[in-house]
This record gives sequence, C-alpha cells and structure tokens, in this order.
Amino acid sequence: MNKIRFIAGKELRHILRDPRSLFVAILLPIIMTLLYGYAVTLDIKEIKLAVCDYDCSRESRDLVARFYHSGYFVKAGATDDLLDPESVLESGKANLVLTIPPGFAVALKTWRPCDLGLMIDGADANLAAAASNYSNAILQSFLKEYLPPGTELPGVTLSQQVLYNPDLKSSHFFVPGLIAIILMMISALLTSITIAREKETGTMEQLLTAPVTPRQIIIGKVLPYVGLALLDGLLVLLFAVFHFGVPFTGSFMLLLFFGVIYVVAALSLGVLISTLVSTQQVAIMAALTVTVLPSVMLSGFIFEIRNMPVVLQYISYLVPARYFLLIIRGVMLKGSGIGVLWIEAVFLVGLAVAMLTIAAKRFKLKLE
Amino acid sequence: MNSDAVVIDKLTKWFGKFRAVDEVSLRVETGEIFGFLGANGAGKTTTIRMLCGLLLPTSGEGRVAGYDIYRDTEKIKRRIGYMSQKFSLYTDLTGYENLWFYGSVYQMAPRELKKRIAELSEDLELGNFIKRPAGSLPTGWRQRLALAASLLHRPQILFLDEPTGGVDPVFRRRFWEILYRLADSGTTLFVTTHYMDEAEFCRRISIMHHGRIIAVGNPQELLVEHRQASLQELFIQLITQQECV
Amino acid sequence: MFRMVLALVRKEFYQVRRDPVMLRIIFLMPIIQLLLLGYAINTDVKNIRTAVYDYDRSDLSREFMRSLGAGGYFVTRPSDIPLLAGERGFRENRQDVMLVIPPGFSRDLKERQSVTAGFLVDGTNASSAAVAMGYANLISAEFNRELYRLSLPVTLRQKVLYNPEAESVYFMVPAIVAILLTMVTVMLMSMAIVREREIGTLEQLLVTPITKPALLLGKAIPFSLIGLVEFSIALVFGVIWFGIPFAGSWTLLYLLAFIFLFTTLGVGIFISTITKTQQQAMFFAWFFSIFAILTSGFFIPIQNMPQSIQYLTYLNPVRYFLTVIRGIMMKGVGLEALYPNIIAMIVFSVGIFTFAWLRFAKRTK
Repeated sequence: MNKIRFIAGKELRHILRDPRSLFVAILLPIIMTLLYGYAVTLDIKEIKLAVCDYDCSRESRDLVARFYHSGYFVKAGATDDLLDPESVLESGKANLVLTIPPGFAVALKTWRPCDLGLMIDGADANLAAAASNYSNAILQSFLKEYLPPGTELPGVTLSQQVLYNPDLKSSHFFVPGLIAIILMMISALLTSITIAREKETGTMEQLLTAPVTPRQIIIGKVLPYVGLALLDGLLVLLFAVFHFGVPFTGSFMLLLFFGVIYVVAALSLGVLISTLVSTQQVAIMAALTVTVLPSVMLSGFIFEIRNMPVVLQYISYLVPARYFLLIIRGVMLKGSGIGVLWIEAVFLVGLAVAMLTIAAKRFKLKLE
Repeated sequence: MNSDAVVIDKLTKWFGKFRAVDEVSLRVETGEIFGFLGANGAGKTTTIRMLCGLLLPTSGEGRVAGYDIYRDTEKIKRRIGYMSQKFSLYTDLTGYENLWFYGSVYQMAPRELKKRIAELSEDLELGNFIKRPAGSLPTGWRQRLALAASLLHRPQILFLDEPTGGVDPVFRRRFWEILYRLADSGTTLFVTTHYMDEAEFCRRISIMHHGRIIAVGNPQELLVEHRQASLQELFIQLITQQECV
Repeated sequence: MFRMVLALVRKEFYQVRRDPVMLRIIFLMPIIQLLLLGYAINTDVKNIRTAVYDYDRSDLSREFMRSLGAGGYFVTRPSDIPLLAGERGFRENRQDVMLVIPPGFSRDLKERQSVTAGFLVDGTNASSAAVAMGYANLISAEFNRELYRLSLPVTLRQKVLYNPEAESVYFMVPAIVAILLTMVTVMLMSMAIVREREIGTLEQLLVTPITKPALLLGKAIPFSLIGLVEFSIALVFGVIWFGIPFAGSWTLLYLLAFIFLFTTLGVGIFISTITKTQQQAMFFAWFFSIFAILTSGFFIPIQNMPQSIQYLTYLNPVRYFLTVIRGIMMKGVGLEALYPNIIAMIVFSVGIFTFAWLRFAKRTK
C-alpha cells in the first residue's frame, strides 16, 4: 500500500509540476461547459427567410409579420434578386424563400384555393425539416383567424405538458452529459498517455526493476487521475447547478458512487490502450478513436441511440458512457434512485469489471 | 587569433533568478583535447549549449572556430560536431539510416556520404551493429554510433558532453583511443567528463563549480601547484574548499 | 535546402513505416470516424416512444394513434404501467411521451365538439421534446381536417433544393472530412516536434546547419501528406459508401484544402513552441479541436448560438473551410459564391502560419 502511495505521489507531482497541463485540465472542462451550455442547442432558430410578396395586401403583410414574430425566422440579408429564388439560396443569404402570389388576399376572403411558394435550402436536412414544420404551423394558426365568420374548427387539441425540464433548456440536457464525456477524456486519454510516456522515455523499465509489482505501478499511476477526473467532474457539476441552474433532484452519493465505477471503466480502457502501443502519439490517436469518439457519438450524449442503424445500436451497448449518461441525467433531472436505474448500474459495473480484468491480464502478459 | 578554437570572455547565463554560468572565460587551442570538468549542475552543459548556438547567452563574448556565438551560429554549426550526454539518435531507425539522415542534413553528396559512412564504421568498428535499430544497441555501441554521427561532416571542433557515461572500462579505453587519433589529425576536442582518469588524457583541463571556473591548466602542473597526488584528490579538494567559502 | 528537407521527409516516413500500430491507425481512423459519425450524427427526431393510455378504445381513438405513428415520428404502444404511476416509464427511460386519450373521445368528436387529449413529454432532451410537440400538433391538425373533410384555402407548395431527400448524412460527411483533416494535422504536427524535443533528437538536429525553413518544411510535408491521404480516404469513402453527390470541382476543393493546411500546421507549430511534453501538446491540440469543432457549425448551426458566440465563430478558421467544402460538394458552387470565405481562409492561413513561423526559435532564450 505504501508503494502505491509513493508511485501515486510521484505521479501527482508530475501533474502539479506541469502547470500548463494542469491549466488545460481545469480550463478545458470549464470552456467545454460554457460552450455546451450556451452554444450547443439543437433547436433551430433564426432561420434566414426572404419574402417575395406579389400581393402586397394587408393580409399578406400580416402573414409575413407572423413569420418574423414567431421567433424562428429572421430577415435574410440584402437580397436584390428575389425574382430568382434559387440564386438567393445559392448565395447562402437565405435558407428559405417564401413567395406570395398576387390574389392571395382575395383567395383568403372568398376561401378559394391558392398556393404559396416555399423554396428551402435542403443542405442541412434538419434545418429544412424544421423550416417546413414551422411554416406549416404558422400558416395553420394564421388561417384559423381568417376563418369565415361563424365557423369554428372542431376536433382534437392536445394539452401538452413538459416534465423535468419545463423551460426546455438545452443546457439541462447537455451539461450533465458533459460530465460523462469529461470523466472519460481525463481518465482514458491521460492514463494511456502517461503510461505510454514512461515506456517511451524508458522510465517504465526503471520502475519495473524496483521491488514493486506491476499492479502496484498501475494502481499508483492511475490514482491521481481518478482524483483529477473526479475534481473536473465536480467542477462541471457545480457549474451546471449554480451557473446554468440545472436541477439536482436525486442523491449525490449515488451519483458519486457510479461516477467512481465509471472512472474505473474508463481508466481500464486507458491502461488497455497503453499496453497495445509504444509511443504517446499512437496512444492519443487510439484513445481518441476508441474512447472519446464513441463516448460522444454513440452514448446518446447528443444523438439519440434509437435513431442509429441497428449495428451501431449494438455497439453502443459496449460504451460505458451510455449507461453513465442515463444514470446522471436520471439522478439529476428526474431524481431517480437505484430502484429504477439498476439495469444501467448492472451493465456499468459489468463493463468496468470486464475492462479492468482484460487490462490487468494484458498488462501482465506484456511484461512476461 | 587563428590558433584558438574556442575563446570565451565573461560568458554569463541567467535562468530567471538563477545564474547558471557566471562570467566564464576560457581559451581552447586548435588541436588540443580540453577537459571541461565540474560537479553535476556546475554549468558545463549550459556553457556547451551556448557555444553550439543552442542557447542565447545573457552576456559576455565568445568565438568558436573564429566566429561570433551571437551572430554567426550557422557558420559555427557547419564547423562543429556535438555529442550530447543523452543518446539523441532516432531509436526506431537503424544506425545506417541515422547516419544517412544526419549526413543529408549536412548536405553531403550521396556518393561522398556513402564513402564517409563506410570509413567511419570501419574506424569506429561499428560492424554489423550499423544495420540494427539504434534503440536495440548496447550502450557502448550507441555512444560510438552517436560519435560517428557527429563526425560525419569532419568538424573542426567536437563538443562531447559526458560521452562515456555508463560505458565499461574497455569500451572507454577504445573510445579515448579514437579521440586521440582525432586530435592527432587536428580536430579540437572539448570534453566534459566525471572520470578523472579520462581527465588525465587531456592536454588542459578546467574545473567548474557553481557556474564559475575555479581552476584551469595542464593536469600535471595543477597537481604540483596544489600539492596533490591525483586529479581525484585535487578535484575533491577544490570543490570542498569552494563549498567552505 | 532541398536535400535537407528530403532527408527529413524520408526519415519521418521511415519512422511511420516502422510503427505498425501508427500505420493501421492512419488508414483505419478516417474510415471508422466517417462510419461512426456519418451514421450516428442524426438529429432527426424519429421513433419517439409513446406510451398510450386509451380510455376510449374506439375506432376513432385507434385511428388517431395510427395517424400519430404514420410519419415514423411516433411509435405508439399501450402502456403497461397504471396511469397514476406513469411517470415511472420516464424514469426507467422506457418512454418519451405519454398520451392520454380520455373516455368519450369518439363521442365528442362525432358531435363536432372539441376534445382535449393529454400529451406529456420528457423534457430532458429539450430540443427533441420541442420538435415532438410540434409534430404532434401538426399531426392532430391534419387528423381534424381529414376527419371533417375541411379544405383550407391556402397551402404551401414546398420545394427543397440541393438535398431533396433530406439526408443529414449529405450535410455531415463533408464536414466530418474537414474536421478529420484539422484534428489529424494539428495533433500530429504539434506532437511530432515536441516528441523530438522530449527524446533529445531535436537538439542534435539544431546543432547541424539545418535552416529553419528546411526543418519546418521537413516536418510539415510528411504530416500534410498524411493529412491529405486521410482526407482523400474519407472523401472517397464518403462519396462511394454514403453515395454523397459531389456537385463541384475536385480541383478547387483540393486547392482550398491545401491552403487550409497552412492554418492547421501553423497551429501545430505554435502549440509545439508553447509546450514541453507530448502530453501537453496533445492537451492543447485537443483544446483547439474542441473549440474548432463546436464553433464551426459542424452539427450545431451557428445561427442558433447566442450573438456573442456567433462573433466568436468568426475567429474559427474551420468555420470557413466547412462552408467552403459543403458549398463545393453539395451545391457545386465555385469561386463566385465562396470568395468571402476563401479570403478569410487565406488570411487565417497566412496569419497563423507566419505567426507560428516567427515564434519557432532554433535557439532558446
């Protein structure tokens, strides 16, 4: 135990004596939190709309005003050539062009058919879909008010209610998720690099000749990173709760418990990578490809797993972040306890144990 | 003066608030083997790095091979060889690839380079080791390979920073035989070492302590002057004297 | 000069060739990333899991559920949890939406009266929750219209240009290719220089009469080539595998990629001047990449960001390259439409590379 403490102390001094890395290790989570908290929203707003109004009636102006007041659309920049909507889209000045034909107001009053033209830049499929939906919704509510007097639209209306995040803030979704990503980054990336570094500079051989077992070396080396990772996680958590006002309705101890298990899984992955490579350069590329990238892309951090092809959905079962994300979002936003999260917990523990075992085996094998 | 390979005058280097080299003045004649001794951390490597144009001095004057160490570093570099205390060849390349690489950097013509590598590998008895990745070589052979790399372009002055660290006595003896042959052919050697028996091979030595030169001269004359029987004793006496002061 | 550069380039390739893991990563990484990102990045809101409590059990209520599920947006299934405990379904992450159809649903509809159905959304993922609510409203309006054969006088006739099948992969793959080029070159370049400093070979190189241009070029060329190879693998793979239409000029794209390389190599060189170990270099390169990716408009549209962050994105060179590569590949536009972005790219390339060049000193102070 003492030996582990010495190695951990040495590694900790490495970290503390390197103010640049420490600076980044602390600053990176903060910057990421701010970026994800403020910049990352997938809701589509401020779609650039250019309008070509041939009708110039009170009604047509009212419709246009509804588009711009909806909060979804903004006026496109100077568009001189509205006769050719296609060239407007090509220049990128507008995302969509609405054309109101002459006779719009008359058609409305007499309740006779009339087509509005809507040309959409489909390059960004999401934006195009959203623009189309918003336009339809705006037109619907517009028409309701111009119904002939005495008529009323019967039928189903939905009484909609949002749970857990009633203001629909993206930051409540992304910032807790970010903790999972940052824990993975710090744990897997840094450990794989620090072990590769000792190999590259030859100090690993030195350590191995000392009367310590490989297991002690590894445990000693990764312990400070557990601390660093948890510190970073806590930092983001504080930011989430106090700066972005993300609710924390569940149990902190439960979250911490799963955080440690998750970090163990991540560190094991880092150690595993380090046994496969011999230079830091390769270690970082491998760590990026097999740890950080899947944690961001295949975990449900941003993109819904259920929308992915089936093969990727199966692969995502192997990504520890997937389970930790569900746990952290459940604990923070929904106040879930172990009673509902036990499936995720079982998977996470299983993965951590499996990875730790494989890493320990590989490391021993490598030495013999 | 043309006969001086290295002249430095009051050369000083500060690292922040730490004075690594403190007004060092020296003169090394062309063709001599100069032993640059001193305890660990005395400022030897810092001095050499300034002479080789790797580090900008804080103040003082210096000329290497007749060129100013502030302005003419590129001209100096063409005329010197440098073998650092850390093995600094590419471990994943073979000896031959390393030599070919450094030769090309010195812009040697391929035919000439090929001849030169053959010549050096015979001189330094590199033999088949030249075909192995440098990282897999035993320490002694690594040092020879590093020496070969620094000799490719026939430098006038060779700076060797603890060239024989961690090498067995037989290897060291052979290494010094090679250095002697080099000196005979007119190459100036500027060597730092911790081995006092090696210091005796030098025509002149200097002893450095805490950034200052505390003694300089012919080894025999220094022994007489300080009434000591061996360089080992002399070194210890001078350093402890300084510590007491 | 030429021979010095050549020697460095050859040395670098020898080293890459000796490292089988590195080789594999260089060729596999772009393909893995492209597959992963191409398939995973999908912000379409589909398959919203809807737990239904149908207390009407009539043809009309079933018809309403059918139209809700018709577009592929909602997947409806009867809930097996009692209504009062229905929230558990959200906690256990088994449903995204709870739909409650009240008794008397069909009776009221047949009497041409308004009926309110309950629609509870899990707001955890704010944006998909918003989209789900929007879809549901549109679908129920459509349902009403069909039910009463109402015809609205004004309809939208829509036309989608450039990507009519609305494939988000067409939009993403060009961006992934650009991001890949950025990350690989910044990381490899910064780490390559720092690595030589760490193991001591840089010092050995610096006592030779090697010139700064030769040294930097000798380092930059191999990594630009590796970067361009990865770029090409990803590009060709993207076009063949994902069937991305390539509308514009390949020559223009490669020319601009070449210009862009100076930016990333410059950043790499700059990082190598402020770091001492590969670990630090990796950290800074990663730092840069995250900033560059998040503020480039890669998967988060810039126009959605707060104004202050939108200004910040102008400082991100990747932003311009992304616009350019998407423009060329998807819209087939050329210089006439892209020149403001191209000018910005050139300014950044020249500026960053010159700055890094000047900062890189052969002699330590």
